[in-house]
Amino acid sequence: MKKLLCAGLAMTMALSLTACGGGNGGSNGGDSASAEGDVTNLTIWQPSDKESIENWWVEKLDEWNAEHPEIQVTRTAIDRSDSYAYDNKVATAVTSNDLPDILFVDGPQVSYYAANGITVPITKYFEDTSDFVDSTIAECTYDGELYAISATESSVALYYNKDYLTECGYDVSKLESYTVDNPITWSELAELAEQCTTDSYVGTHIIMDHGEGLPYALEPMYVSNGKDYISEDGATADGYVNSAEAVETTAYLADLIAKGYANVDPITDEFLNGACATEIQGSWDVTVLEDATFDWGVTYYPVSDNTGTPVSPCGDWAAAVTNNCSNVDAAGEFMQWLMSTENVASYSAAISKPAARSSAYEDEAMAAYQEYPLSVFKEQLENNAAPRPRTPSYATFSTAYAEAMTNIFSQAASNGAVEDSYIQEQLDGVVESFEEDYNTYYAE
Amino acid sequence: MSKRVQLSPRKKGERAAAYVFSLPAALLLVAFMVVPVIYTVYYSVFQYQVMRPNDISFVGLANYVKLLADSDFWLALKNTVYFTIIVVPTQCVLALALAMLVAKKFRGVSVFRTMYFSPQLTSMVVISVLWTVLYNSNPNTGLINSLLVGLGMDPINFLSNPKTAMNAIIFMSAWQGAGYQMMIFLAGLQGIPGEQYEAADVDGASPWQRFLYVTLPNLKGTIIYVITITMIQAMKLFTQPYVMTQGGPENATKTMVYYIYTEGFQKGNFGYACSAAAVFFVIVVAMSLIMQKITADK
Amino acid sequence: MLKSKKASAFMGKFLFYFGNIVIGIIFVSPLIWMISASLKPEALVFANMNSISTFLPAQASLDNYFEVFRRIDMVNVFKNTILYIALILVFDLVINSICGYALAKFDFRGKGAIMTLVVALMVMPMEAILLPLYIEMSQLGWVNTLQALVVPFIAKCFSIYMFQNFFRDIPNDLLEAASIDGSHPIGTFFKIVMPISKTVYATVFILDFVAHWNDFMWPFLVMTGEDKRTIQLAVQSFFSTSPVHYSAIMASLVVSAIPMIIMFVFMQKYYVEGIASSGIKG
Repeated sequence: MKKLLCAGLAMTMALSLTACGGGNGGSNGGDSASAEGDVTNLTIWQPSDKESIENWWVEKLDEWNAEHPEIQVTRTAIDRSDSYAYDNKVATAVTSNDLPDILFVDGPQVSYYAANGITVPITKYFEDTSDFVDSTIAECTYDGELYAISATESSVALYYNKDYLTECGYDVSKLESYTVDNPITWSELAELAEQCTTDSYVGTHIIMDHGEGLPYALEPMYVSNGKDYISEDGATADGYVNSAEAVETTAYLADLIAKGYANVDPITDEFLNGACATEIQGSWDVTVLEDATFDWGVTYYPVSDNTGTPVSPCGDWAAAVTNNCSNVDAAGEFMQWLMSTENVASYSAAISKPAARSSAYEDEAMAAYQEYPLSVFKEQLENNAAPRPRTPSYATFSTAYAEAMTNIFSQAASNGAVEDSYIQEQLDGVVESFEEDYNTYYAE
Repeated sequence: MSKRVQLSPRKKGERAAAYVFSLPAALLLVAFMVVPVIYTVYYSVFQYQVMRPNDISFVGLANYVKLLADSDFWLALKNTVYFTIIVVPTQCVLALALAMLVAKKFRGVSVFRTMYFSPQLTSMVVISVLWTVLYNSNPNTGLINSLLVGLGMDPINFLSNPKTAMNAIIFMSAWQGAGYQMMIFLAGLQGIPGEQYEAADVDGASPWQRFLYVTLPNLKGTIIYVITITMIQAMKLFTQPYVMTQGGPENATKTMVYYIYTEGFQKGNFGYACSAAAVFFVIVVAMSLIMQKITADK
Repeated sequence: MLKSKKASAFMGKFLFYFGNIVIGIIFVSPLIWMISASLKPEALVFANMNSISTFLPAQASLDNYFEVFRRIDMVNVFKNTILYIALILVFDLVINSICGYALAKFDFRGKGAIMTLVVALMVMPMEAILLPLYIEMSQLGWVNTLQALVVPFIAKCFSIYMFQNFFRDIPNDLLEAASIDGSHPIGTFFKIVMPISKTVYATVFILDFVAHWNDFMWPFLVMTGEDKRTIQLAVQSFFSTSPVHYSAIMASLVVSAIPMIIMFVFMQKYYVEGIASSGIKG
């Protein structure tokens, strides 16, 4: 019996070995900085993105590696179905100590990783950050230290189909007359949406990805109406995301859906496909709309009638150094180079996003941002961008908020109306999830 | 399956052969399924945030206490059971109906068989992505709603209404899976001796009686088999809510496996997710063993 | 009398075909729409939704397919996927079939335990043990290696179950005869049993090939790097990597289905027989 067991074990082992033999053995990619002799090898993880930026990396890293034989850098693009999938990948890598040296993290997640000690401060490599836009520095700072740095920013504005609006009898010149300090108000947007909702078009489009897209694109609505999602210190959501102001903001959005002015589950390219009159959408859509078969325009992010305070979304993926990096100085040196004005300009141009450094806009690569339509996004970033809450429990908040909004919007669409009490109940649920996570893991 | 005539076990070398043959698979199962299950049970008594692998604390049965008080857990269990109870008969009846439609040889029969089987040629992820678009609530962008509106009906918010979301997933799953079971039923139907039908015809049986007294009894074994494999699949429901609804709206499509996944990964409460997984394992394993007993006794 | 009987027979036949055609259309139309959308320019994917022409790509072109192949190194993706699935399947077919055979035809201590293990684990959902399994892989030092994709998935309860079901019905006389001729039980299996069991091998091959072709969560977590990308990860990258275009997504979905369609075309006989026969014995 014992002999048999041994034989069986041996066979299993042999099989496993054969399987290994077929592969390329040893691991790479996820390994930490390894110093062989005097050479430091750094790895970078970033979500995979459009072709032009993939090519940018290849070209730039060749350049860097040729000039710095002692610091060799490789980048790995991570495929993902959504932003949560990337977080899952990072989470598993944490359990097995397989994090790369440099990790790209989404702006609002910077605090989460920093608070858990996954990333390390990089303040000393970026002592003068005055050239970076305020919103990105705010987003990348946790507990007084800089934990990440971003080359790019993002922004959201209101796109409109000129041809169709004119057809509806809407005066497009009105939309063209808005300025960054005096944008379209909520009530004006609702009127527009009402006027332009027909059998074949809905009036507007709200990002509905059941994920991070919702809290990202909608937060300025809340800030503009007087209350952010979470307190300034990131410790509580009670009295913020469930405040009377927040309920009012949510009710406004739910009303657009209840009345059929916006779809509850729109397809991503609804605007491009000529199925909605306007859309609240990110700067990246400018590139997508090059294929549009109609004339379109962009105006500033809508503002609350109550306060008239214009606020716009911002935040983007930022580079951070992980606790798995054995040569933080080398990583710091590389990041300084990566974030130089010249690199930021060409990087931003390649990825079609607004640059996070003011000086980068003087570069030829960023020339398009001096002109309409991209200038709209640049103006917003320079004037009224509000970063998402900085709290280590952001991941929990984001999931809970997206879930609550999905519920509220689905109620709106199914019943043609939503009670404020239901909105209150859902937002209270968000607070509860947030507080539980925060109090369990981060409260003093 | 226990009552079987065995080979004479006296044959020398047979016992050795039995171990050489069965141990590799058994050891691999232990190494890569039993061990993870043991890990699951182990971690279920700890508070373990995935981002803090160095900060794990023993909490005894606290996770279980919290779990049993968590309404989302019970809802996920209810949803899983609901899905199983509805999808198993729907899919099996549909599959049997399809099999009877194409059981006889007629011109073009293989074309129809291929048509019914075709959803099987793509993966569940592909099907889920595709149907999310087809189910779109806007008649201008959603194929099914455009059809409904064309027929003079009101559009339905299939995936964004808690009342319809799970049923929409059930319909899609049955559509995808029925072709496979149809093939199994087809073989069962072809195995029924023709004389039995002839005898029924002599007795003047109606088509319904033929079905009830000849077809069904002959298919008993096949039906039990099909129900078993469909149930096993149904209890594991994950891909469809993961791709199509993220468990919503109002948790209407949050299944057990999806619940375990979101708790463990998205929220990072690994220890807690393990307690949910452990409870779920007990339920499905018990179910599987009971099903096995029923099948063996028949 | 005769005439009316003929008429009703014709009517019955008409209804029969009509029913089959209607149901057939319900079954294939989503797939036709997917293929049609994959041939359209993005701005027209959702145009003319309310007419039959949505199924006919008006300005058909293969541009979306070119885009898929340009954005992703599909040759490498197919190579990676087929390599790891082939490795799994080779071991899968051998190890699970001999185990199924032992459970079906041999009497030995521990048989009941193994049978219970197989039945109990058959219902275990992979997604629920992902993280523990990942932790085990990292303890073995297998993260980001081929063996993490292959070794844990060789033994499969359902395959063992299928084999056991099939082998059970092989007549004992045949095996007795072989053993009287002096054949060792192991030799008997490889020389006599295996050659007459092609259908069950084909079935398990097809089922497991399809199952692994659809893997996405595990390869995503355990493998890192574009050069190691498997097919479903490549498809997923179209969902989130800008520009997110339905036309390109649909084209990538079609591309990912091609191997399964090819397999169906070439192995149709085994496909049908194999799947069908699995249920007869129940």
